[in-house]
Amino acid sequence: MNRLNQLPTLRITPSEKLSLNYRGKTVQGVAGDTVATALFANGVRVFARSLKYHRPRGLYSLDGECSNTCMDVNGVPNVRTENTLLKDGMVVREQNVKGSADRDWLAFIDKLDWMMPAGFYYKTMHKPAAIWPVAMKQIRKAAGIGVISADYQMKGQYDEMFIKAEVTVIGGGAAGMTAALAAAESGQRVVLLESRPHLGGCFDYRVSTTAEGTPLYERARDLAEKVKLTGNIRVFKHTSMVGAYNNNLITAFQVGKASDTFTERYIEIRSDSVVVATGCIERPLIFDHNERPGVMQVGCAHRMARTYGLLPGSEAVFSVGHDLGLEAAVDLFDLGLKINCVADIREDGQNPELMLALAERKIPVLKGWVAAKAHGCKKVEKVTLSTVEGTVKRQFPCDLLVASAGLTPVTGPFILAQAKMGYDSHTGYFLPTELPEKMFPAGRITGVNHPGAIEASGRLAGLKAAAAAGADVGKTVAEAEKAASVLPGPERGCKLVTAPVKGRKSFICFDEDTTIKNIKQAIEMGFDVPELIKRFTSAGTGPGQGGIPGHNLPLFVAKYTASISTPVPTTVRPPLVPTFLATYAGYNHHMFKHTPLHDSQIADGGIFRNIGVWQRARYFSADFDCREEILNVRNNVGMLDGSTLGKFRIHGPDALKALQRVYVSDMSKVKEGRIKYSAMCNDDGCVIDDGVVVKLGENDYYFTTSTGRAGQTVEWIRYHTRFDGWDFSLVNLTDAMGVINISGPNARKVLSKVVDIDLSSEAFPFSGYREFLIKDAVFVRAMRLGFVGELSYELHVPSSYTQAVWDLLKEAGAEFGIRNFGVEAQNVLRMEKCHVILGSESEQRTNLLDLGLGFLWDRKKADAKTVGAVALRQAEKDAGRLKLVGIRMEDDDRPARDGALIVDNNVRGYVATMRKSFTTGQAVGMALVESQLADIGTRIEIFEDECNGVRLYARVVATPFYDPKGERMKS
Amino acid sequence: MTEIKRESPVQFKVSPLKVEARDNWTVALEYDEEGQGPWLVDLAHKTRWDLQDRKVGELTPCDLAVPEAPGECTFADNTLINRMNRTQASIFHLGAEAPGLPDFSGYTDVTESTVFLALFGPKAFFIAEKLTALDFLDPAKKAPFLYQGPFCHVPCQIVTLEKAADGSGGFLLTCSRGYGDSMVHAILEAGSALGLRPAGENRFNTWIQGLQG
Repeated sequence: MNRLNQLPTLRITPSEKLSLNYRGKTVQGVAGDTVATALFANGVRVFARSLKYHRPRGLYSLDGECSNTCMDVNGVPNVRTENTLLKDGMVVREQNVKGSADRDWLAFIDKLDWMMPAGFYYKTMHKPAAIWPVAMKQIRKAAGIGVISADYQMKGQYDEMFIKAEVTVIGGGAAGMTAALAAAESGQRVVLLESRPHLGGCFDYRVSTTAEGTPLYERARDLAEKVKLTGNIRVFKHTSMVGAYNNNLITAFQVGKASDTFTERYIEIRSDSVVVATGCIERPLIFDHNERPGVMQVGCAHRMARTYGLLPGSEAVFSVGHDLGLEAAVDLFDLGLKINCVADIREDGQNPELMLALAERKIPVLKGWVAAKAHGCKKVEKVTLSTVEGTVKRQFPCDLLVASAGLTPVTGPFILAQAKMGYDSHTGYFLPTELPEKMFPAGRITGVNHPGAIEASGRLAGLKAAAAAGADVGKTVAEAEKAASVLPGPERGCKLVTAPVKGRKSFICFDEDTTIKNIKQAIEMGFDVPELIKRFTSAGTGPGQGGIPGHNLPLFVAKYTASISTPVPTTVRPPLVPTFLATYAGYNHHMFKHTPLHDSQIADGGIFRNIGVWQRARYFSADFDCREEILNVRNNVGMLDGSTLGKFRIHGPDALKALQRVYVSDMSKVKEGRIKYSAMCNDDGCVIDDGVVVKLGENDYYFTTSTGRAGQTVEWIRYHTRFDGWDFSLVNLTDAMGVINISGPNARKVLSKVVDIDLSSEAFPFSGYREFLIKDAVFVRAMRLGFVGELSYELHVPSSYTQAVWDLLKEAGAEFGIRNFGVEAQNVLRMEKCHVILGSESEQRTNLLDLGLGFLWDRKKADAKTVGAVALRQAEKDAGRLKLVGIRMEDDDRPARDGALIVDNNVRGYVATMRKSFTTGQAVGMALVESQLADIGTRIEIFEDECNGVRLYARVVATPFYDPKGERMKS
Repeated sequence: MTEIKRESPVQFKVSPLKVEARDNWTVALEYDEEGQGPWLVDLAHKTRWDLQDRKVGELTPCDLAVPEAPGECTFADNTLINRMNRTQASIFHLGAEAPGLPDFSGYTDVTESTVFLALFGPKAFFIAEKLTALDFLDPAKKAPFLYQGPFCHVPCQIVTLEKAADGSGGFLLTCSRGYGDSMVHAILEAGSALGLRPAGENRFNTWIQGLQG
């Protein structure tokens, strides 16, 4: 197909050839083409088949307002090819076809529309139940809008950007650019979003002139140049606004050019104020076969020629309801299109200059006429025109029917901003009855169509937005208001909804194959509200996001129901434009914390798991039972990276009071050189944390928390002391100190090779705390603890030195066969000792007493001064609470899974942690059970997922399972 | 024999061209092909203090005043003091050496607690806007100023030391040390299209000396 290569309005580069593969053949387009225009240039007229009826579909809007040109591009289905820029080497396929888009074997379904009235799937797809699983598969094969492989992996780079602006302008047409320039005058930061790859909007392709005689496309390019030269305007082209949220948070996504480093980019703009200059789309004209290939909207036909250099047909009929249609007819005629007739829905009100231009070109104009039927199967061959009343009809041959009932403003941004919408009877638009705070309309969305008025409204909106964002532009706003007031205001809009047809094949929604007849059926079934009809008929729920039926549906419903109320539009929701999930995901950075020993743990074969915000080595071999790791700690010596432990300093005159408030124990008994283990409860007495506290000096303490609570600890203590006015300070040292836990009977021997202090049990006893230097350089806080039930030292080392100390210990322990143990081995070791891990052996309901930690609670402290004490006092006599007990399986080779339910006829508890203990040879664990089941010797029944009715059995046994006197850890 | 040395939470994939041993740290002074900026510099070895006291506003660490309002900073003599809240300030020593911790219980040395990075040079803030919604280029704010907020979803302290409307300038960023690997990976990925490269301490010194006149 020959291009109109010399037009000054072109947005293509004819000399730069690009190719795509379509149906196995290579076809050529040029730079600037969309996929759809490139295909059109190569003679493709049927792009896809429709969802239900497999009707042929062609170019209609050129802005992706419907699924007509949705195709599979590079393996991604439902790509809107009419606004997807062509890139070299793209592979394009039709979708929802058996055969090809031209010859679809399922096209016969179009004849069966009588079998599929509105809501037929709600009424038929449940009886008889037996056949529907079979029928459903066939229906799904026949209907659809593309298929994606379950294994498909999205290719490309998905960028993201979070920006702040004083003013955001949505829409880069003349009004948007003028608004941006006006707002930028005050020096504010302005962001301009334009969904097309270039600025210009409805000026971009038009050769009609401004009052000064400048062609509109030239004016658009002048404005674009000014915008480009304005440093405080950031322009994002090919960027669709998709969401508007509280406080003018605007979201959008940008499609990358071939030269960009990103495929798509998610953009989030926090803006003080917003100008909505989104302009208008066309309101589809409804008549029989109004979606046949060859029927297209005015803007589509006009832009095909002016932007892409492609005459959309050779012989045309126009059926329009606004002056843009007449303007397009004149211009396309001048470009070589034969026009057999222009039918204008309006009886009067046409621009006289355009009427004169049509007359000069001898183009017949029928006022008060409208297209009633498009003839032809896969493309338009002729059209029946009718008077609006349907009294007289005439036929005209054509291969192009340019049809448009009128204009409809793109008000999605206002609706997302929760604006109430109302029907404006002058323009026929749905417009906001009240503007959302700091949001201003500009341009054609307000109903103006005069070029000067469009720019004036843009300038006014831009200045108002700047003022709302804090600029001192009051005087300028007044001047702009005055300038706008003398220009033509909103124009009267065409009100016609449908041609005089019955509507069996008149489509109100192309995406869902919803006809006027379907809407009537829904109304006759009692659905009288557009929102309900939308759901019942699916009209407006397809990929076009309601672009085609959004305006016509409420108008038609109002007319058909003879409603005396004004029409109410259906709502829209984000994203306003279909967006890849990959774009929303963006970079998807994995932000995890690593301990100072992370790399060496990997080098030692650690297998990592994500635990909260941390990545931790859970295993050190493929044996996930960790037999060797466990036995090495029990019989020899092992090292654990415990750096994730929460660590804090609290200091100041009232530090002790704060500790007394949040810990259940009497913290005044913390002695220098000793550690004190205690727990924190919430107001319900439920344990939320445990750890140790050491005294560093007067009013100066160091304490640890569980890994999971470290992030909340400062806030927790501050919250529970918020009314006291106490003077204390908290410093989170969690990341400042690495923690090395060296455990096992040989731990002392290994450590003594590295440190210079006396490590004997007398000099450094169980529960002792010492500070010392290693190699005269590394300051260490050391604690003797027994979490795993063996002789253990917990060394808190400055993070930057942790690796060095670990390496020293590893070197020293080599002769003993020291080896790493991971979190799972630690879990089993401590379980054998029945030491609890909060979150494993506790949950929301379990209090301190339930867990058997009541010994920590100092009952002499005033209850009101200790968080949780009041509730604990009340819970002491509360029968029927869950109790933590030790259990042993009747079959020692079959431990129950963590979380398995303890049942009789009801759920009576659950298994918290259970493992096969290599130390004892028994399958043992801890369970939370109702207190009636807590007596030693009680037989309990265990239900596991997918147990197929086979229950497991265990008995409550004494705890701990290992070293009950604690001799080993105190040795 | 294990050598006693300190490890930064940050590791760049490229090896430095010049290094210097300092207080058991191996400080990278220069990298090969540092480019024309923007640059990312690891400052983990620079001493940072936490200062908390009810009357923090009346204290004069290193003979400098603690700024009056949260978010304000004082920068002089290679020392940066950032007012965090009513009772707390952070102090960054940006010179080669830091004084000893004052004998006052309100101070805590938190050098080990955090990642400490400098991101500066042309388009530095265009990298930042890919990772955070914090408004570094707010015309109402004059550098230096402190933000406490999310950067790549991680709570951070970020001090803007220099900014220009064209996105150039730079800032210091601290966050929990454990995030070092993730944070550097995220920043370098976001900055790759803008030419971000690791740089050594020399580049950083040149920048801050220029800021201090």
